[in-house]
Amino acid sequence: MAGIADFLDSLVGGFDLICFSLVIGGLFWGLFVLRAWNNPNQYNDVLMQKTVALLYKGGFALALAQLLKIILKIWLMTALLNRWPFPEFAATTQFLGGTLRMTLALLLAGYCYRYLRKNPFSQYHWRIAAAAALPMIISGAWLVHAAGRFENQFMLMSLTVIHQLAAAAWVGGVFQLVNLWFLHSAKRIPAELWPLLLRRFTAFGIASVAMILISGVPIALQYIDTWNGLIGTGYGNLLLVKVTLLVMALGFAWLNKSAVLEFGISGNHRRLNHCVPYYIEAETFVLITLLFTAGSLASQPPAIDIANLTASWQEVLDTFSPRIPRINSPTHEDLIAGEAGRVAIVGQIPSLAATEWSNYNHNIAGIFLTVMSIFAMLSYARSNSSAPDKFLGWTQYWPFGFVALGVFLFFRSDAETWPLGPIGFWESTFNNGEVLQHRIATFLVFVLGIMELRARMTRNSHAKLAFVFPILTAFGGLMLLTHSHTGFQPKSAFLIQIGHTSMGVFSLIMACGRWLELKLDSPGKDIAGFISVAALFQMGLILMFYREPLY
Amino acid sequence: MKNTFQLSLLFILLIQPPLLFAHAVITSHSLKIAPLRPARQEKVELTFNSQIELGLSQIFLVHKGDKHELLHAVKGRQQGHIIVDIPPLKTGHYAIRFRIFAADGHLTEDVIHFTVEALPSDTKAKDSNSNSSRF
Repeated sequence: MAGIADFLDSLVGGFDLICFSLVIGGLFWGLFVLRAWNNPNQYNDVLMQKTVALLYKGGFALALAQLLKIILKIWLMTALLNRWPFPEFAATTQFLGGTLRMTLALLLAGYCYRYLRKNPFSQYHWRIAAAAALPMIISGAWLVHAAGRFENQFMLMSLTVIHQLAAAAWVGGVFQLVNLWFLHSAKRIPAELWPLLLRRFTAFGIASVAMILISGVPIALQYIDTWNGLIGTGYGNLLLVKVTLLVMALGFAWLNKSAVLEFGISGNHRRLNHCVPYYIEAETFVLITLLFTAGSLASQPPAIDIANLTASWQEVLDTFSPRIPRINSPTHEDLIAGEAGRVAIVGQIPSLAATEWSNYNHNIAGIFLTVMSIFAMLSYARSNSSAPDKFLGWTQYWPFGFVALGVFLFFRSDAETWPLGPIGFWESTFNNGEVLQHRIATFLVFVLGIMELRARMTRNSHAKLAFVFPILTAFGGLMLLTHSHTGFQPKSAFLIQIGHTSMGVFSLIMACGRWLELKLDSPGKDIAGFISVAALFQMGLILMFYREPLY
Repeated sequence: MKNTFQLSLLFILLIQPPLLFAHAVITSHSLKIAPLRPARQEKVELTFNSQIELGLSQIFLVHKGDKHELLHAVKGRQQGHIIVDIPPLKTGHYAIRFRIFAADGHLTEDVIHFTVEALPSDTKAKDSNSNSSRF
């Protein structure tokens, strides 16, 4: 049961950040972007009601998330300690801070629902809502990483809260932009509001990002004190992933800004209506992944605390260096024979068979992906050229590779469990978080293949089936970015993790590329499609050269 | 299309994989400085990088064959400092396994391996005692 509690706990942790962004983003959007009291005739009721609805729904959901976090923590504690965790748990910062935050979020949401909803044009009510949010924001300081630190605790807690606030303002603002686009496309708001609010949000977004950097850099310097700490620890690695995702999101933001500027100069709204909404959708995927990565980062020990467990840059580089893929697997008997020694705590014996088994799995999966990506590139070449179908027609079936990969992974990923090993299917799935992740990943890969194959076969260009691929791929990216092998040997775990996080980033690039390919017109469509397939190729290469440390 | 996008976000949000909590780590322990000696009641000091909720944490002594024995621990004088009582042990390989609930809400599992062995001085003293008992 601990596996499920652990799973749900982390799920709610990410959900909590999204709800927080909805609340904070909604407040900032109302106070600084809309400023409805200055322009009461410019906005209609639909816009204001939808804006406030996102805010209070986010607030109620945040309170629920806090409650669930406490319940799940109690469940997790009960499962691990084999006893009821009270009264000790009632005295912890987590319980007290969580309960306080839940109450404050409930009060804020209640106020917005009861009063702000009925007075959305009133500056007074918006200010009261902001004042009501302040204690809730501050209460979050006792629930962050820094709360348990000994040095510079107050400074780190304050900076973390400012960092979260700035990130939530940006992400929540993007949620409001998505809401605005839906209203605009449904013609429920005046047409001029879309470019006007986009322009206003640009300045607001720049300020938010500046605040993210101003608060984030000192935190990073407190937790990472060497270059090696940045390159050779899980904490540093996830920070680099966060920076990469931030750059991606800023790239989309820049595209939006240039489209708004173009509209301002030429009055041409083609990009504004046919590109910007989809860039914002892709940006939303990136920002959500960024939030979950931030949650994952908080579960890593800071680099400064594990100086003796840091990998060197040579070891990190070696993880990605090209080599001959392993195409011979050790036998299942050899693997099982070594398992008892490998998992023993006292007298542990590293298992060469287990390492080679894992290398084989990853390398073969890499060959699958690389071949698929080459076929995919050829299929794009076919659709963009006059090459006869008889030569390249079969390349369109490249997604079938995912189906075959799913079957391969089902048998190979957890050899000690059913169908190959002695541990039953349900027992292994629900008692081991890592097996559960592998089962979900295997299922996703299988479904991905079938859905994408069907989507590419259909002649209906408006079919929604095609969107399953980017959604599942984005989810796969999330899994890879938060998938942890952290166990009793942090350095080995990190060297495994670094390959997975790199693939997570490429997976997200693939998802955004495919999403934009489906939404944009040429030439943006073709560029996005190529980037998507190129990201698949990169993932294939990482897997093909993967080598696991012996442990 | 609106529904597709909303459902996409919902799907990504709701099917989030498990994280493995691992924030609090041991920054130093007394086993590095003073190895344990056989047949003695000993105390091991552990220092963490974070504040610990000791009442919700468990520390086990792991014997050969991975047999677990729950140990008693108390807070030390400094923050993040824990003192663990170790019962008298025979020479051999052991481990201390702990599940620590840190103040930031993260749960950490880790293991410290150690060996109990007699020092030459112990052997001499034992011999000396044995000899003296003969006289």
